Amino acid sequence: MLTAGARNILKGMVAATLYVALFAHAADDLTAARELTVRQCSQCHTFDKGEKHGQGPNLFGLIGREAASAPGFVYSDGFKEAMKGKMWDAALLDRWLADTLAVAPKAQMVYWQDDPNVRATLVRFFESNR
Amino acid sequence: MAARRGSERTLGTSRRKFLKTAGAGTAVAATLGTVTLSANEAKAATFDAEYDIVVCGGGGAGLPAALFSRWLGNKVIVLEKAATLGGTSFKAAYWYWVPNNAAMQRAGIPDSKEHFLKYVARLSQPQFFDPNHPRYGLSEWEYSMCEAIYESSSVGAELLADKGALPYRHVAPVPDYFAEMETIGATGRVLFPKDGAASMSDGGQVATRTLSTSCRRDGVTIKTSHRVEKVILNEKREVIGVEAKSDSGQFRVRARKAVIFATGGFTHDPELRRNFLSIPVYGGCAAMTNEGDFIRISSTLGVQLRNMNYAWMCPISFEKAIAKDPSLIGCFSVAGDSMIFVDKRGKRVVNEKLHYNELAQKFFEWDGANAEFPYLVLVSIWDQRAQDNSASHEYGRLIVPPGIDDRHVIKGATLEELAANIDARLQKYHGQLGGMRITSDFTDNLKATIARYNELAKTGKDLDFGRGDRIVELLFNGNVKEEPGRKNPTMWPISGEGPYYAALVTGGTLDTKGGPKTNPNGQVLDVAEQPIPGLYGVGNCVASASGRAYWAGGGTLGPIIGFAYRAANTANKEPVKS
Repeated sequence: MLTAGARNILKGMVAATLYVALFAHAADDLTAARELTVRQCSQCHTFDKGEKHGQGPNLFGLIGREAASAPGFVYSDGFKEAMKGKMWDAALLDRWLADTLAVAPKAQMVYWQDDPNVRATLVRFFESNR
Repeated sequence: MAARRGSERTLGTSRRKFLKTAGAGTAVAATLGTVTLSANEAKAATFDAEYDIVVCGGGGAGLPAALFSRWLGNKVIVLEKAATLGGTSFKAAYWYWVPNNAAMQRAGIPDSKEHFLKYVARLSQPQFFDPNHPRYGLSEWEYSMCEAIYESSSVGAELLADKGALPYRHVAPVPDYFAEMETIGATGRVLFPKDGAASMSDGGQVATRTLSTSCRRDGVTIKTSHRVEKVILNEKREVIGVEAKSDSGQFRVRARKAVIFATGGFTHDPELRRNFLSIPVYGGCAAMTNEGDFIRISSTLGVQLRNMNYAWMCPISFEKAIAKDPSLIGCFSVAGDSMIFVDKRGKRVVNEKLHYNELAQKFFEWDGANAEFPYLVLVSIWDQRAQDNSASHEYGRLIVPPGIDDRHVIKGATLEELAANIDARLQKYHGQLGGMRITSDFTDNLKATIARYNELAKTGKDLDFGRGDRIVELLFNGNVKEEPGRKNPTMWPISGEGPYYAALVTGGTLDTKGGPKTNPNGQVLDVAEQPIPGLYGVGNCVASASGRAYWAGGGTLGPIIGFAYRAANTANKEPVKS
């Protein structure tokens, strides 16, 4: 029979272990998400703050910013028109990654990803990348 | 400067990571090849999916090949290695060069087969060219391949246009690159995606969109991020499928009729480049996924590699190539009139406006006495006037407007300062350039070079290198300041006052043009000249019959459409394999 004090200490230890495990898992998960994103997107995009635009715009801080608003990037008219007044959030990004042309029929980016797990991983990376 | 260095570092990290994950180079070579199944294994083999025709690669060759196959009633899948479609063609201007095209016929512009074949023969094999020879000096294979381009490119282009997959506009005034040559060059062979910009630089984006939209409309299955690694053979050594890898694991597809490879060249495989190209190319503007996969996969099939030593060439930013920048685009139009290229001594050595494939050859001139490539990197130098009037984000120009990545640009308030900064930049690349530096008399020579150039620019006649003498040089001159009354729009004196700008330039590839030899129907041939049953190749992953030549703008994509059409029609008639 454990005393209440001992029980609390034990609880604390379990919580700490869980916390460490979860935190480490989250960090691994983000590393993996970044790797997947780099693999999928770095042909055209850069991700870190202050990096130059490539074929597509720099994507640092994408979530929460207005669509077609990266300073200095020349967006196509088709994209600007379709995305007018839209803000990038997880839902819009998921729809975009599922089929860019369904969201903006005249966009230059021709990308679709039918695996929802891959999309969720990409969205997770962009949510963290700000 | 600190901030710039910082961003270079982060850029470097993500690029390196990208290259690691994309599997550039030899690390992945071992996984590419073939799998041969015995009769029992083939019967028992589990495939994840079954299609009539499997197309490997969703770029300028793969998408048309998939559509042509689909329109003949086949069930078709495209497996694309990259995350996005279009491959190299997405980055291209997507002019496509189609001899005797329907628009020419409608406009009454004559373009006979003889006329066309003489032109390509003269440029592809100039040393054998003979207008009185029955094949104008071409080999039987080259002649039959070029004949196929004449006969089928327009048929394919019209079908793509009729089906709404690639509507075009005819750009009748665009000349062939050697339009003035012995009266056999022509104008009118260039088509361009209908909705592309007036500057004709964005055709690749438009075409990738319209082609892929049609694929989906007409029921072609497309899987991106699927790298085909192996060809699967049955006991009779017929190709019956492929094995691909994606983030979700392995994917095996059975091909009832045929597999068509359209996976691009080997621009981004340093080992293949080093061993097949005779010149030290640092890279190019092919899609980063063009790592010669089909060369490696087909190496166990007894194919005949042809034209491996040549590539579609263009000048490129040396620094972007070294950084493996995926957004690199070749300098298809060298911008600026008050602009020159000089060598490490500060002397002009070339006509800067020579069109890209030919200009790129200059970097690889060998100096036997000194055992070096003296022009491996040349320095483009321009003044504020050119910066203000000729900057552009299109066609890979080195003079770029504010806001566009300009880390390749070297600046100096005076020519002395510019020279010191050029030298500092060269030293940064010590290991890649064999220690190349500017010579001690560079600045003096540069001043004399500019004085001479300015004298020539005033008269409008480049007596040293013939700059601006040819039709195509005017076509690719880019934006220059209006100067009423001048005779030669490619030249203007360089200012006596700074600031000055510079960039390091070398020769690169749009992509390579060698690979397994096919017949004119895209069938890959074995060493006995027999088609390997079920195996096809189209585009830059197979041997081009063009030798070293770049016939005209769109001289890559136009013929590819013809070969994609022929490959699809031949594959359609293939028997179903067991």
